[in-house]
Amino acid sequence: MTSTTQIREDSLAIHTQDLGKRFGSRTALDSIDLQVPRGTAFGFLGPNGAGKTTLIRMLLGLAEPTSGSMRLLGRDLPEHSAAALARVGAIIEEPRFHPHLTGRENLAVHAAARDRSAAGRIPASLDRVGLAARADEKVRAYSLGMRQRLGIARCLLADPELLILDEPMNGLDPAGILELRGLIRDLVDEGRTVMLSSHLLDEVEKTCDAAAIVDDGRIVAQGSITELRNGGHVARAIDIDCEHRSRAAAILAAVHGVGSATDNDDLLRVTLTPEAPVDREIVTALLTRLLGEGIAVGRVVPVTHSLEERFLTMTTRLEDRS
Amino acid sequence: MFDLRLIRADALKLHRRYGMLAMSLLLTVGMAVLVFAVEIIQHADNPLKHDPAGGLHSYQGAISFLTVMVFIVAAIVGSTAGAQDIETGVFRDLAATGRSRIALFGSRIPGAMAIVLPIAALVAALTGIVGVTLAGSLAAPSAGAIAGGTAALLASGALGCFVAVGLAALIGSRGPVIAIVLGFELAISPLLSSIGFLGDIRQALPANALDRIANQAHRGVAVALGTAIVVLIAWAAAAFAAGAWRTRTHEI
Repeated sequence: MTSTTQIREDSLAIHTQDLGKRFGSRTALDSIDLQVPRGTAFGFLGPNGAGKTTLIRMLLGLAEPTSGSMRLLGRDLPEHSAAALARVGAIIEEPRFHPHLTGRENLAVHAAARDRSAAGRIPASLDRVGLAARADEKVRAYSLGMRQRLGIARCLLADPELLILDEPMNGLDPAGILELRGLIRDLVDEGRTVMLSSHLLDEVEKTCDAAAIVDDGRIVAQGSITELRNGGHVARAIDIDCEHRSRAAAILAAVHGVGSATDNDDLLRVTLTPEAPVDREIVTALLTRLLGEGIAVGRVVPVTHSLEERFLTMTTRLEDRS
Repeated sequence: MFDLRLIRADALKLHRRYGMLAMSLLLTVGMAVLVFAVEIIQHADNPLKHDPAGGLHSYQGAISFLTVMVFIVAAIVGSTAGAQDIETGVFRDLAATGRSRIALFGSRIPGAMAIVLPIAALVAALTGIVGVTLAGSLAAPSAGAIAGGTAALLASGALGCFVAVGLAALIGSRGPVIAIVLGFELAISPLLSSIGFLGDIRQALPANALDRIANQAHRGVAVALGTAIVVLIAWAAAAFAAGAWRTRTHEI
């Protein structure tokens, strides 16, 4: 491995290459190349059954891949899984506990499997997730939201470099979701990496810096949230509030970089070609033409796409392909 | 393989099951107290017809009965120790720490023993005290007999823990394990012991090996002490190996 490659590897918390998993004749994961940068909140997005949990199980040594390779925190798996997993906290599917034990006792049980200092982190972990006051109640009396928080506290016992959270928003009320989002950002600010697996596109968009989109066992896109939102085959567009929209549409259709100009819900929607210059330049060009033709303009609004639109576009394309 | 922190954690999980602890005490100490109480009352009511609650013969009968009861308690506690992480789904989180699965499995056996062996020791002490102090005119059990009886109770508890923990890890559920162990101990083992043409094969039955350790003849099957010890170790090793294999290879 060259030093440049080594540096790049060290900057990744998770790196998989050509990773695959089959259950008999069924392919659960196919040639997964995933790169999760350290110190980020990374979303792992996909519909139910897309293969998210299968990938997490393999990263955590709970299932073996049928092909490919994995590195976790710079260490090859499965050869160095014990050392790598010692600094990983994870919630898989939903946090499970012994219902007849208290929250504190459940953490003590888990701490026994961690390094010797883990038990000393129990009070701080409980405090951080807001469960200190109810830590001595039996877990069978906890709500799902409290169990999710106890699951996060259990992750923190490892003083983790990497947290892998599988659908952590499940069961949380809006206040709990907001709180967890803040906690995840705090953890990232401390230099930790958080991988957030979810089918809630909105949550990933609000919480994460980057994401990978998985569908039908394949990664169909990965990158920063902005890249995912704006990239790919979703054409850029600009909405213009102006008078004489029909005449304006005819004028703008002839401008270089404009694919089409159509009346759209009291606004003129100008769809740009891939060759169109950056927003500032194209908006200037469009306004110059309109004002030059004596058409007054009220406002100009670049059309932004949500991650959800991008996700649906990609999955639709996959369906078309098949 | 045996980490003290993991063993303490497993013992904690079992200690907090108050219903199971109460049942375990009831099946052993409670049953012993009940039997002795009946014998004391009967002897007081008609000394000519009923022997005292103590004495060697009564002691050996009590040990034979309590060896089975301790084994049953070990099956209940051991199967719980072996399956509770799997049944609750916690084992997946424990395995995801990177900790050796064999270490996680191995700690369950001493964890179960931490519950079962003190109960076995308590019931052994109770039986020994009754055997000596309430012997009346009969011969009291010797120190050797009490040592043998105590060893049999402790060995029964230890073997039960090994077998139940191993089977529970193999099957992944405690209910079937309790049924299998009870069925074997209460029905299959006595039946096999009584079939004469099986000959020396019957030496491989744990009940006969435990009776040899307690210095008692069991349904006419003679077992050398060394053979008895080897038999118990073999059963424990087989159960441990089966549970460890399943725990190590199971995808969760």
